[in-house]
Amino acid sequence: MEVLKTLLQQMFYVLIFPGFLFCFIFGLFLSGIDRKMVARMQRRIGPPITQSFYDFFKLVGKDHIIPRKASKKAFLLAPVFGLISIVIISLFIPIFGFTFQESTADIIVILYLITIPALSLVFGGSSSGSAYASIGISREMVTMLSYELPLVMILLSIGKKAGAAINGNVTFSLADIGKYQSLYGIIISKWALIPAAIAFLLIIPAEVGTVPFDAAEAETEICEGPLVEYSGLYLGIYKLTQAVKMFIMGSLFLALFFGGSGFSNIFLNIILMIIGVIITIVISVSFVRSILGRLKVEQTLKFFWTVPTALSAISLILVYLKY
Amino acid sequence: MTSYFSNLPIIAILTPFLGAFLTALLGERKKLLIIEKCIPIATTFTSLTSLIFLIKPVLINKYIVTYWMGNWKPESQWAIGIGLEVDAFSLFIGLIIAAACFLSAVYSFRYMEEDNGLDKYYVLFQLLSASMIGFVLTGDVFNMYVMLEIMTFAAIALTSFRNHIYKSVEAGFKYIVIGSLGSSFILLGTALLYSQLHTLNIAQMAALLHGNYTPVSILALAFMLTGYAVKAFLVPCHTWPVDAHMAAPSSISMLLSGIMSKTGVYALVRILYMIYQSTGRPEMEFLIIFWGAVTMLVGITMAVVQTDFKRLLAFSSVSQIGYIMAGFGVGLSVNKGVAVVGTMGGLFHMLNHAAFKSLLFLCAGAVLHQTGTTDLNKLGGLSKKMPYTTAFFIIGTLSISGIPPFNGFVSKWLIYQATFEAGYAPVTIIALIASVLTLASLVKVIQSVFFGQLREEHKDVKEVPLTMRIPMMILSAICIFVGVFPHIVSKYLIEPAAFSIYNIGSYIDVMFGKGYAVKMFKETVSIPSMNYTLAGYWNPASWLILFVILLIALILFFSFGYKTTNSKVVDDLINTRYETFTGGEKESYNHLGENDMFWGMRQDFGRYFKFIKNAHSGVVNDYVLWVVTTCALVTIYLFTLM
Repeated sequence: MEVLKTLLQQMFYVLIFPGFLFCFIFGLFLSGIDRKMVARMQRRIGPPITQSFYDFFKLVGKDHIIPRKASKKAFLLAPVFGLISIVIISLFIPIFGFTFQESTADIIVILYLITIPALSLVFGGSSSGSAYASIGISREMVTMLSYELPLVMILLSIGKKAGAAINGNVTFSLADIGKYQSLYGIIISKWALIPAAIAFLLIIPAEVGTVPFDAAEAETEICEGPLVEYSGLYLGIYKLTQAVKMFIMGSLFLALFFGGSGFSNIFLNIILMIIGVIITIVISVSFVRSILGRLKVEQTLKFFWTVPTALSAISLILVYLKY
Repeated sequence: MTSYFSNLPIIAILTPFLGAFLTALLGERKKLLIIEKCIPIATTFTSLTSLIFLIKPVLINKYIVTYWMGNWKPESQWAIGIGLEVDAFSLFIGLIIAAACFLSAVYSFRYMEEDNGLDKYYVLFQLLSASMIGFVLTGDVFNMYVMLEIMTFAAIALTSFRNHIYKSVEAGFKYIVIGSLGSSFILLGTALLYSQLHTLNIAQMAALLHGNYTPVSILALAFMLTGYAVKAFLVPCHTWPVDAHMAAPSSISMLLSGIMSKTGVYALVRILYMIYQSTGRPEMEFLIIFWGAVTMLVGITMAVVQTDFKRLLAFSSVSQIGYIMAGFGVGLSVNKGVAVVGTMGGLFHMLNHAAFKSLLFLCAGAVLHQTGTTDLNKLGGLSKKMPYTTAFFIIGTLSISGIPPFNGFVSKWLIYQATFEAGYAPVTIIALIASVLTLASLVKVIQSVFFGQLREEHKDVKEVPLTMRIPMMILSAICIFVGVFPHIVSKYLIEPAAFSIYNIGSYIDVMFGKGYAVKMFKETVSIPSMNYTLAGYWNPASWLILFVILLIALILFFSFGYKTTNSKVVDDLINTRYETFTGGEKESYNHLGENDMFWGMRQDFGRYFKFIKNAHSGVVNDYVLWVVTTCALVTIYLFTLM
């Protein structure tokens, strides 16, 4: 009985909440909100919030074409792997003290798991054999390289801050970071880590791949780069992955900077999380997207290795000096 | 105590040596070629099995196996003869070496069939294998030097084995100059130590040298560190392997890069941890971690700009050795808890690096064997022709860049954790960035070699034969197994090895009778407690279960109401209407490969790349100067701080 119960529970986590179904619905919903917000900021009426669902189901219903130059297996498997790994990350991010997979909730694991969707884009694009895709993946790799440095420094500074209070050294566990926040107040209230939080907000658009850091998928320029040869279901999976990634980044931001115990009721916590993610994404993605133009890839690299890196370095140094 | 297993180390060393002499006797006869091909497989397999039989006594029962050559036992607790001493650390490296040599021998069976002078190849191959195994199993510093010389010269000859190619000869020349310089430093260091301690036995040296550093022994340490740094290719002594790995046949590049570098690391660890007992010395810790970090960074930035497949892999090897050294550097920390994590990370990464770097070199060999080139500019679109090699190469790429759940992730994670906990945050950041750059450099290879446009001249390329595929298959299976079950590997291999590194007391006692170490040290040697929970491995099994469940769910979900598309092929080969144009160029001219891949990055760090590329001038004089300068710097550093 006990085994069956844990099994059912795990299945529920994986498939319903916060796993596949929740990611699917909320991710697309979030993408709809983002589009609506951008439209409103540009004085358009914009699509309905459910537009992303329509888009996705339309794509699923369409035929798909595999180019002759493509290596078929890699071409078809890459999007599926990307989607699965992004959905799995949702299980590792605690929602206000409620963790689904305690033993593995670790920021370095997450740091690496987040790279898998980008990698699936790279492999998929590369295997399609298109020239546009190869330009796209070259830019994708450089973008990845550019945001990785500040991201690492942000995560290390939070780990140091939380670890120093919890066990006197360093922690990499997200559960410990949550515990620290419920004991000593949320991390954003520690002024030493405010630069890190700003840097993280700057990273989200690059991680999700929206303007101004979307050189890899520039539609107007290289026809969506790695996705140029994709069609039908597999294009839909990529679009879904991108939408879910928005949710993941938003909820990671919340877990890192606004974590803690939240309310005592799990449902209230979930609603709090949903609202928090929407606000985070609107601030870091929609606002930025609607007022800025696209950067060139070398400008992206230069930007990330100067401004966010400097901000997160300030945080890291301050944390080391025990502020 | 004599038992069946005390004879196993000498069997493991001697069989390949005997096989080498036998092969030399058979000579270059066409009829005997098949026998000559089988001899190395048999001898390396014998070595491997005899080492596998040692697993139970050494790794599980924590027994240290000793063997005195010619029964020259120590006279009144003073070592006279050569002693072999196999503790868990030696055996751990020995197993890696023997397994890799065996796989390489199997791979060579078909890979080398187009070369002539194969008897010489196999003689040298077996000398190389035997000397590497002997190097790690011996308990004698001078014997180590002898094995090293055999190893170096066999490797040099093998590097320039394809001597009709100019590059091979040039690489051999570079190797012989820089390698001999390293060997001379090692010999000088050994001689200085001998003059001080009047013994060559590692255990006895450790006992005598405990705590009494003299200027001569510090100088010897500086010489030995530099000498073995040349063997382990730490920056700036990393210049010879690059040419050597590129020029050597791939079955040898695999041994040079995956295994021979480990012997250098092994010697460094033995010297630092055992003979000089530098654990708990912050200045030594800083030196090694700093050296490791520089190696990581320089190695990988050079790899990113390479245009040759094997050269790129060689530079990325350099950077991986940096990871290992950083791990072992943390192992010298005063804080025992962190030190153990660092040592285990270093050991784990040695195992992993041996697996995935061998795999990648074998893939490079497969491409070279089938197409005749490793130049990234001249390759492309091989994934359709060589699907297995592509799959293996992708597994290797994911492993080396530390993508979970492959093996690289586990060891890199331990190293990140160790360096950060030891207070070296910049090193952690460098390590993580180097990891992304590793991924980038190998994605470049995948894009330019396996995906993209197939070249006209490679239309008839076929997949490699089965005997070449089997070693690659085994290595990729190791990569996945170690990544998914790190606990098992850690429990049976890494932990005993890490334990034996710190267990100096019984290493000495086994040779000279119980109580000798305590008598010499005037205190008991403390061993930090360790088990894998301390390192807190992540649990990929649960992650994998989730992955599989989701995969099945997704496939089920999409298979409902989704009809298979009719695979009709549009015949538009001739029609230019369907061609893609980018930047006004026809498709056949705009395949983005090799260096154009990262022009965004090269744009921003142009000055750095220019500087680092110019520094690697290819002139042997410069490189020798670098090695000598390193020696001088290490000497100055050690004398000011110790």
